[in-house]
This record gives sequence, structure tokens and C-alpha cells, in this order.
Amino acid sequence: MTKIGVYVCHCGLNIAGTVDVEKVTEYAQNLPNVTAARHYTYMCSEPGQRMIQDDIKAHKLDRIVIATCSPRMHEETFRRAVAEAGLNPYLVEIVNLREHVSWVHTHEPEKATEKAKDLVRMGVARACLLEPLEKRTVKVEKSVLVVGGGIAGIQTSLDLANACFKVYLVEKSPSIGGRMAQLDKTFPTLDCSACILTPKMVDVAKHPNITLLTNAEVTDVKGFVGNYEVSILQKPRYVDAKKCVGCELCTKVCPVKIPDKFNENLTQKRAVYIYSVHAVPKIAAIDPTHCLRLKTKKSSVCGKCQEACEAKAIAFEQQPETIQVKVGGVVIAVGSEVFDASRMAELGYGRFRNVISNIEFERMSDASGPTSGKIVSPSNGKTPRSIAFVQCVGSRDKRFHIYCCRVGCMVTLKQAILAREKILEDVKIYICYIDLRAFGKGYDEFYSRARDMDIDFIAGIPSEIYCSQNESLYFDVYDRGTNKLLEIHADLVVLATGLVPNSDLERISSLFHASRSADGFMLEAHPKLRPLESAVAGIFLAGACQGPKDIPDTVAQASGAAAKAIDMLSSGKIELEPLKAVVDKDLCSGCRICESICPFAAIEMKTDTGKDKEKSRAEVIEAVCQGCGLCSSACPTGAIKIQQFSNPQVLFQVQAAFEKAKPKGGK
Amino acid sequence: MSLVDLMSMATPNFGSREKILAKLCGREIVNCFQCIKCTSGCTALKLLELKPHEIMKLVNLGFVDELASSEIIWTCATCLKCVQRCPQKASPYHVIVALRNLAVEREAKVPEGYLKAVSQILETGLAEACRKIVTRKMEAVDREYLRLPEVSKPKESFQAVFMKAMEEKP
Repeated sequence: MTKIGVYVCHCGLNIAGTVDVEKVTEYAQNLPNVTAARHYTYMCSEPGQRMIQDDIKAHKLDRIVIATCSPRMHEETFRRAVAEAGLNPYLVEIVNLREHVSWVHTHEPEKATEKAKDLVRMGVARACLLEPLEKRTVKVEKSVLVVGGGIAGIQTSLDLANACFKVYLVEKSPSIGGRMAQLDKTFPTLDCSACILTPKMVDVAKHPNITLLTNAEVTDVKGFVGNYEVSILQKPRYVDAKKCVGCELCTKVCPVKIPDKFNENLTQKRAVYIYSVHAVPKIAAIDPTHCLRLKTKKSSVCGKCQEACEAKAIAFEQQPETIQVKVGGVVIAVGSEVFDASRMAELGYGRFRNVISNIEFERMSDASGPTSGKIVSPSNGKTPRSIAFVQCVGSRDKRFHIYCCRVGCMVTLKQAILAREKILEDVKIYICYIDLRAFGKGYDEFYSRARDMDIDFIAGIPSEIYCSQNESLYFDVYDRGTNKLLEIHADLVVLATGLVPNSDLERISSLFHASRSADGFMLEAHPKLRPLESAVAGIFLAGACQGPKDIPDTVAQASGAAAKAIDMLSSGKIELEPLKAVVDKDLCSGCRICESICPFAAIEMKTDTGKDKEKSRAEVIEAVCQGCGLCSSACPTGAIKIQQFSNPQVLFQVQAAFEKAKPKGGK
Repeated sequence: MSLVDLMSMATPNFGSREKILAKLCGREIVNCFQCIKCTSGCTALKLLELKPHEIMKLVNLGFVDELASSEIIWTCATCLKCVQRCPQKASPYHVIVALRNLAVEREAKVPEGYLKAVSQILETGLAEACRKIVTRKMEAVDREYLRLPEVSKPKESFQAVFMKAMEEKP
């Protein structure tokens, strides 16, 4: 005979404010198999937990029903409490009286109390059939794959490597460094971006625990938390990495010029190139889509780089290579892209040469950039006498991206300060903004510094930018502060283009089965309490791939993600929830529906050689299964059950739900 | 009353505000964060001092009465730039049209031009009268000269149908 204890939580007034908890407790007391029923202000608190533990010992309870908040919140807490009292932790049933009852029925307390009673009755019914389960432990690889070699990937890799984990850092382009390598100075301290980033890039290359794979892409992921098998495609550089010394002799003789992506296409590079001045590794690469020899596939064509290279490093014969690695966890750190402002036609980006994006300004301001750090109007190469910044381009805009890009305001303040420092008094600087957001540590001080430097702030944004015949720009803007319509003439307009999800994110999220949020960025497991992980065990998130972020936040999240990975993998084994699918081998017909439907690829077909003939049967890879239940509901023979959600358990609960209802039809 | 405009001692009229919102089929159309883009580009601002962002805020706060009886709502040139470019997909234009409807309902003074347009439509079925055009040689010519067919008169039942539609209040 089961002995069930029912505990109703007030959750302060969250539940008790709507639901009559005393009545619910009284009702529970009289349900079959219930030995004890109590209510308390905060069941999750220490005295609340002790109340349950004492009852388990005193009344020899063997099932516990707790009517409280969502199981997502405190199921673990109560399982631990029950386990401490010597009961199997999976003999606890949570009834959600907060999210399912009190919060949604605030205006109808009587009906809410009735619903609470129904739910408790159903919970008690299900609890009778709960079975004790054991957690399983799995051995894990003490190595981590980091996808993306920007500042997020670099920081995560270094932290993991310093904690003695083996790290595979995969970067798509020929050099690590990412977006931060393109920046000139960084807010709010105006540190030179290259000065603080380059040493970290070198550390990554030299670290004995880091295997750096540039010009490479993840192509396939198999396995499960702690035991991922990853295929990485190493694309050919057509340059022998061991021989190349980065002398740049080849880049001087190559006859093919192509736009330089690192300089935001403001300059040209050669078809054989070194990614940037600070590239790590500093090894040349050949662009196979533009190189004459590789395009024509004829050994008689060009080959000038081969002649020029003293180290004999040019290797046209290189082939793509697939590398297999085993890792315990993955950190996704692929970053974001910059909004294409030409989509916002009224601002003239792409039509007028003197309208540029903020990342282009950044390259222009960088000493190693196209103008060697001089700020100029692109149309005539002269120093502008007036610069206007326009905020919120592509972000906070329902036509494109509704979110705030979180960096635009600070980037503009920084660029305005840089312009003032570089051109001194000879330039008028206007910032047209909607709201100026300076929320981080030292950010508002930075805003104040900008105001001190004679930078004019216009509270309002232009509707359209016009271009006069000499290619100087002008626009009307209505200023909220003065209630005046102002006409601003500028030789250079800088658009504060926001950050948008990386175009690779769709492929990457499906590779790792990690979902994305409505804005297109990676989705964290919980926006407040689990911001560093995806919902898939062992897949962590770092940096702007999870949402727009500045450098301080990115580095903090990267270190956090590394710590999370260390936390999960450091002991060499992990515990897994027992709520998994189980296949009844005798019932399985081998139809493979479950295999095709499983979103986690957790089902394998195994072939048994029986007495009469071969029979293939489904088998669940326990460590991969997330217990979602799709296979169980799809299985035509009922061979798959989800532990703790078996048919009898669920049906008994459903029966309890309709106990009071009268059958229709009047028979 | 929780809100008073100390310049005119006006208080919000939430009943009229609800009426406006009902005309707009929801709140999204006044969901404005005051970026001022509409006013920066408003065709009617320079000459007629129409400030769409101000109208959006006044409607949001409930100061509808003053607007409905003002002349400013009749200055919109319906160029629809504000509708096209609004980052919040709000629409000052639609709010202004809703305010005009409210003004007509309240029998407020409607500018002469609008009344003329109505009688024009009643008589000819056209919003604009047929006019002479000026050719490249600076000659003023009419349809007959250009050998264009005469514009047909509206059907007899047209006036009755039009008047009925005008009288139907939403």
C-alpha cells in the first residue's frame, strides 16, 4: 500500500493569493493513498524541505506530491531533499499551482481552487505508479571544440587550455582575431584593439594545449554530451604552413587584385594574401576562386608566386582534408555580422560614396587600414569639415531587426571622440540619436567625455539623406531639444549599423541541434539563470552568436562558458537524467520511424541475427536521448516508452482528471 | 485626474482615445518611441508646421480633443513617407486620418478645400475637375483639342450611393 505525502506551497502570495491552499490541503488529505497533507509559506525553504523529510521518516512515506511552482524551477531542489531523507528522488511528482493556476486565473479565485484540487488529484494518481530510477554516469572526453576564433573563441580557448583541457579551435578564415581585430580603439578606455588582442592571438597559437585549425569548418557532429565526434574540413591554403615564413614576397608579384574583406572591401588585396597585418598564424593563403592557376587548373598559367617564394612554400597541389576529433563539449563562438545598410534605402548607403558604415569608419581610423588612420571623405580623399553620425541603423527597427544592437551608441561616441582627436577643432561633429544608451561600467563617463569635446547631440534622426553635386551630403533633422528643424551639411555620414546574426548560424545551429531565438541568434537554455549554455547538454555559447554584445560582455561570457565546460567535464564523468526512452525489443518491428523522427539522432538500428532470420531493432543511445518522447508517440507497436511517462502512468492521470466529469449522451 | 496640461489646463479624454484606437484596429499603429524620423522628413512641416511625432504622443497620452478641433490635422499632404520609413511600423498618417474622421463626427470646422472636393465628386464623380494643360509650346489646350473623348458623367444612382456611404458612421 503506497503512502503518499501531499505538500501545498503558498509561494508567499503567488499561489495563496489566489488559490485557497487550506481547502486544497484538506481535499488532498481525503484522497486515496494520501497519508499526510500539509501546506507551508515557502516549501522550497529549509524549514519547508525539513517538513517533508521529517514526514518521510515519521510516516514512512514512499511517494511525495508537491503542489508548487513549475518543475523547471524547483524539481531538482525537492528531488535532492527527498533523497536526503532516503527516498528515491524520482518518486517525487510536482504539481504546478503557480504558472498553471494562480498566475493565469488571478481574477477567478474559486475556479482556481477547484482547478488546483483537480491537478492535485491527478498528481496523486500519477504518483502511485511512479517507479524508482537511478541516474547513469558516462565517461567523458576531457577536450573541447571551440567554433570561431574571434575574441570570444580566443578567451574560451585560453581559459580551457590553462585548465589543462585539450582545445580544438576552428576558425573559418585564414587568421583568428575576428571582428575585434578590425577595430581601431575600444570603448570606454580607448585601448588600442590590436595592442590588447594580438598578444592573446599569439598565446593561442603557442599554447601546447590548443590545436589551432584556421581556414577550416565543422562539417559533421555525431555523439552526445561528453563524447562528441566532430568532423572538421581543413580547406587548402595552397601554401605549405610549415614552410611559409610570412615574408609577403608572393603578394607583391601576384597579378590578380580582389577586394580585401578584412578592410571591408575599401582596399584590394592579391589572390595570394596574408589575412591582415596582425594575422595569426602569419601564413599566406591563396583564394582559389580568383587565382589564375587554380581557376584554369593549368600548370602553364601564371605561377608567379611560386617563382617568387624563396621558402618554396606555394603548394598548388593541396587538397581539402577531413580531420576527426573526439571532444567532450563544444563552445559555439561564431560571432555576428554587421547589418547591410543598403537595405535601408533612404539613408543612401551604397548610393552615396560619403555615407559609410561604422565598421568602415573603424578600418579608416585604424593605423593599418586603407588610409593609414586618416579620416577622409571617400569621394575626394580630403579631411571632412563636418561629420554626422546617424544612430540605430537596422536595429530597433521593426522592418529589419527589432532588438537594440547594444554597441551602436558607444561605438559612435568612440568614433566621434577619435574624429575630434584626429582632426582637432577643424571639424563639426553631430550625433543624431533616438535614445543614447550608455549602460556599462564607465560608459556614461565616456558619454560625458564626448560632450566635453564639443560634439553636438541632436535628439532626432533624419528621414532621408540627400547628396549634392559635389558629393557632399545634407539632410533635415528635427531636434527634440530645441523644437527646430535643422539642416545639417556633412562631408561624411557614418551610419551606426547594428549587429545581425552570422549567416553561418543556421547551418551551425542545425549541426549541433541547438536552437535559435526569434531574432536569429543562438538560444540560451535560460535567459537569466543559464545564459552560457544551449538547451543541448554539452553545447555552450560564448559571445555575439547568442545576442549582440560588446567586448567586455563577450569576454565575460567566454570565460563563463569555459568555466561551464570545465565544470561539466573536469571529473571525467557526468551524471545523466534517467528520463530516457526505453525500447521493448520484443515489440519493436524495426520500422525505423523512431530513427527518422528523433531530433537528437539518439536512435540506432541494430541487427540481431536470430534463429530464423536477421531482424533489425531500434536501440536508444542513452547518453544522447533527451527524453522528448517523440519516438514513443510515433511508435506504431508501442515498443518505446519514456521512463516516468509510461502509458499506464499517463493514462491513470488522465482517468483521474475526468473522475468527476459525467459522461455525455445521458446513458 | 492624473494628468493635466498646465499650458491649456486640458485633461486627457480616454473615451475619444479609445475611439481613435478602435478606428486604428489596435495599438501597434501608435506604438511610437519618439525617434522623430517622421517629423524630420514631413512634407507638411516646413510650411504648415505639422509635427507627426507630436500627434502620436498626444494621442498616446489621451489629449485627443484639442487635436480633433485643431486645423493642424488637415495639413497632412498624405505623402506617406512617415508610413514607409517608421522604424516601429507605426503610422502617423493613419492616426491623422482617424483624427479627421473624429473631427467630422463632431461636426468640427472642416477646411473649405475638403468640402469643395466632396461637392466636386458629387457633381462629376471626379476628385479633380478637368483642367486645361500647358504643352511644351506653352499653349493651354483642353481635351477637345487633344481629341480625347469627353469624360462621362456619373450614373444617376451615384449621388444617392455616395451620400449614403458618407452618412454611414463607423
